[in-house]
Formats: sequence, C-alpha cells, structure tokens
Amino acid sequence: MPRYPVMKESDLPPGARKLVHVAGVEIGLFNVAGKVHAYRNVCPHGGAPVCLGKITGTTLPSRVYEYDYGLDGCILRCPWHGWEFDLRTGEHLVDPTTRLKKIPVESGGDAAASLENLERFPVESEGGSLCVVLPGGKAGGPS
Amino acid sequence: MLENTPAITARPGLIDTDVHNAFANVREELRPYLSRAWQAYADYHGILMPGTGYNSSVGVQREDARTPSGAMAGSDPDFMITDHLDRFGIDFAILTGSHVLGISVHTDPDWGNAVATAYNRNLAERWLGRSHRFRGSIVVNHSDPEAAAREIRRCAPDKRFVQVLMASGSSRLFGQRFFHPIFEAAAEFNLPVAVHPGTEGAGTAGAPTPAGRPTRYFEWHNIVPLNFMGHINSLVCEGAFEKFPQLRFVAIEGGLAWLPQLMWRMDKNYKALRSEVPWLRKLPSQYIRDHVFVTTQPVEEPEKSPHFLQILEMINAPGNVMYSSDYPHWDFDNPRMTLQFLPKEWKQRIFHDNAAALYGLAARPA
Repeated sequence: MPRYPVMKESDLPPGARKLVHVAGVEIGLFNVAGKVHAYRNVCPHGGAPVCLGKITGTTLPSRVYEYDYGLDGCILRCPWHGWEFDLRTGEHLVDPTTRLKKIPVESGGDAAASLENLERFPVESEGGSLCVVLPGGKAGGPS
Repeated sequence: MLENTPAITARPGLIDTDVHNAFANVREELRPYLSRAWQAYADYHGILMPGTGYNSSVGVQREDARTPSGAMAGSDPDFMITDHLDRFGIDFAILTGSHVLGISVHTDPDWGNAVATAYNRNLAERWLGRSHRFRGSIVVNHSDPEAAAREIRRCAPDKRFVQVLMASGSSRLFGQRFFHPIFEAAAEFNLPVAVHPGTEGAGTAGAPTPAGRPTRYFEWHNIVPLNFMGHINSLVCEGAFEKFPQLRFVAIEGGLAWLPQLMWRMDKNYKALRSEVPWLRKLPSQYIRDHVFVTTQPVEEPEKSPHFLQILEMINAPGNVMYSSDYPHWDFDNPRMTLQFLPKEWKQRIFHDNAAALYGLAARPA
C-alpha cells in the first residue's frame, strides 16, 4: 500500500488539527491528548467538510436538569448540522453506527494489515514523520 | 379473570376511552360538595368556567342523546348505559366529564381546586357507584400542581379512578418542571395523565396558535393538534419520561396523523442538538412510543384508508392507539363504523387490548 508522509510529528502537537490533501483525498489529522487520529473530510451524514468543525467538549449523559460538561477536546462538531463525533472513535454520539471514516494510528509496522476499505487510512509514524496510507494508486510524496 | 365473569364470546372486547358524563344542572349537583364559602360563591356566580368564545354551529351535544326527560346529553347514568354502553356492547367507558376542565385556565386557582374536588366526589358517588363499567378520571387543576397532586393522592386509592385528567389548554407547556408534582403523584399510583381539548384559547391559556386566534369554531377545531404537539414535544424534551419512568401520557381527542412528522423532526434535531438535553437516553420518538397514548376520535378520514394504516405503522400504533367515541358529542365516532378496515389483530388492540392494559381493565366486567 502506498504511504504518504504528510508532516512532521512535531507539527501536530496535542490539541492541534491539520488538513492535508493526499492523492486527491482530503484528510483531517487530529492530535487528541497525544494520540493522532485521521479522518476523511466528509461527514457521513450530509457530506460536509466535517474536519473543519469545532473541536470542543459536550454535555455528558446526566440526570434531568443537570449539566455535566466533559470530553473537552474530544468532540468534533460538524460545521453544517452540528452532529457531534467523538474524535477518539469517530462515532456519532447519538448513533454510533454513523461514524467518521477513520485512520488507525500505528507507529511503524505493516499498516496495510488494518486497511479495510477506501475510506480507512492508516497513519504511520516514520522517522519523526506522520504518514497516511492509501489503498492502490501510485506511491509518492504528498500532493 | 373475575369470578362470575360470563364466558368470553367471540365478540371482541370494546373499551371507549372518551365518554362525557355531564350535569343537568351543574350548580345544584356540585353544590353539596363545595365548602360553605364556595357554595356562597357558586350561589352568586354559578359554576363559572372561562370560555373560548368559539361555538360549534351544530352544538356540542348530540340532540338525540338528550335524556328521556329532555335534560343535557350525558347527564343521566342510567340512560347512558342503555343509549351507549348497552347499544354498542361497551365493556368499559372511561368517563372524561363535562364543563369543569376550564378550572385549569381560571384566574383563581383556589376556585379551580374547590371545583376539582367537588367534581371528583360527585363522580365517585353518582357515576362510579352506578356501574362497574364506568371508570373515572381524577380531574385536576393544573394551574396549581401541588394542589393537583394532593387531589390525586386523595382520589387514587379508589381504584375506580383509572387516570388523571386535565385541560390541554395551558399557559405553559406540560413538560416543564412547574407541572412535575402532578406527574410525581400520578406515577406514585401508576396512573396515566390524560389531557382533553376544549380550553385552547380560554381564560389564562395561550392563544390556540402561536400566531393568534382562529376566527371560527371550525378553524379552532382544526388546529387543536398544534397544542398537543407542543405538549408532547415538551414532555419528551424536558425529560419528564426520564424523571418519571412510570409516567404515561394520554392525548385525548387530538388526532394522531401528525405524530410521524413530530417524531421524525424530533429525531433529526436530536442528532444535532443532543447536547441541550443530555438527560435523554434514546431517540425522542422512542419516548413517544413508550409513554404516549392517543385516542382515535375524531378519527382522521383520508380518502384512501390504506394511507391511515401507513400512518399507524409509522407510529407503532398497535400499542399506542385506543378507540374513543366522544359520546354524546356532535363528532361522535360509532364503534361499528369507525376503523373497520383495520386488520383483525390491530382492531382487537385498538378497540380493547391497549386500553385494558393501560387502565388495568384486563378482565371483562360481569
């Protein structure tokens, strides 16, 4: 599987977000508390550029009329309809079967083993660089 | 099953969930149940209720349902038994009263509370003692929820009362915390809370639509479901069914064909706006399916009856819909003519089983 180095690890500190274009595909990279997650920049609900949404927290399940704020920095709120996605899993908070197209983060090794479909992009750490891995296509540098 | 219950015949059971007992002379009939101070008030003013100002051009009472002595339709328990229960083979009639729901939109909550108690006492003595087939609704004044809760606790030990009933007209939406004492008391006794239209736009209630008042009764009657949508939406969003998991809400005489739209809009919005109501644990439509019941009359009559069946499928109707006639009012739905196109199993549930389960009327009375 072709690997595309996209940035230095140090370019994506905790809390940061970067959008990259790789082989014609827009991918958002998010560092959530030291762990890097990558998702395709297409909302599974309405096709919005979901990775441009606000990174925030939310109200946690609570008793009636109680407000318990948490998951700060873990929630990506889609810029079109406001759907909340957990950046750690890509899952929509209301319907977990609706999920962002996720890239598992791996430190080296054979990323292709976890490649399941076109929408699932592994990210590899290679010599201080973050790489995304796309199925098929020509290997090369970032577009 | 009760002893001495006749053998169940092939006839499916029939429960009518909206039957209006009435007064021939409301002042004389409620007076004995009022305190001396309120008797003096009633002697002077009568049993006053705020009106909507909308008057049906065909009247509200069915002319043919006047009692043999010519009194107000619904005012004679014996005549109601022969004219309605026996005629149609009705196993149970859920009595929903007349005249008094306006107590909740009266400016004086003390008067409202006094009339509620007088009404419920009269009902227990005059009607519930007359026939096992009559089941009562505890009428409460929702403008004073603490008093309403006391009235529920006073009446509920009498198991002939099977639900709490209040006006759907209101200056507030029913999910709001203001009303929770009512739900708490009802849930304590596992009694459903029902609302009935008629006070939309009356007294202290809000206008029948957010853009103001319809011009005529026809127009007013058409738009009553708007108020019901507001209350059901509020009950779900405020978390009333999370806070009171026992609570069941019965929307009487408000129709049902609008429910799919409300459910779908609520579910769609919930997917975006969940963070405003973190106490909800499931889709809004699921709370409606689990906690909200509707009665059929005035049943919607689309040109093609399969369209009605499709609506029922959309709202999971076999479990949530209950037949009602509205006897003896002008827009009565005859149980032998209404919804006859339903599949047999649905008919059984809607005409009998759902109400039997909700109101604990599983055994057919002797």
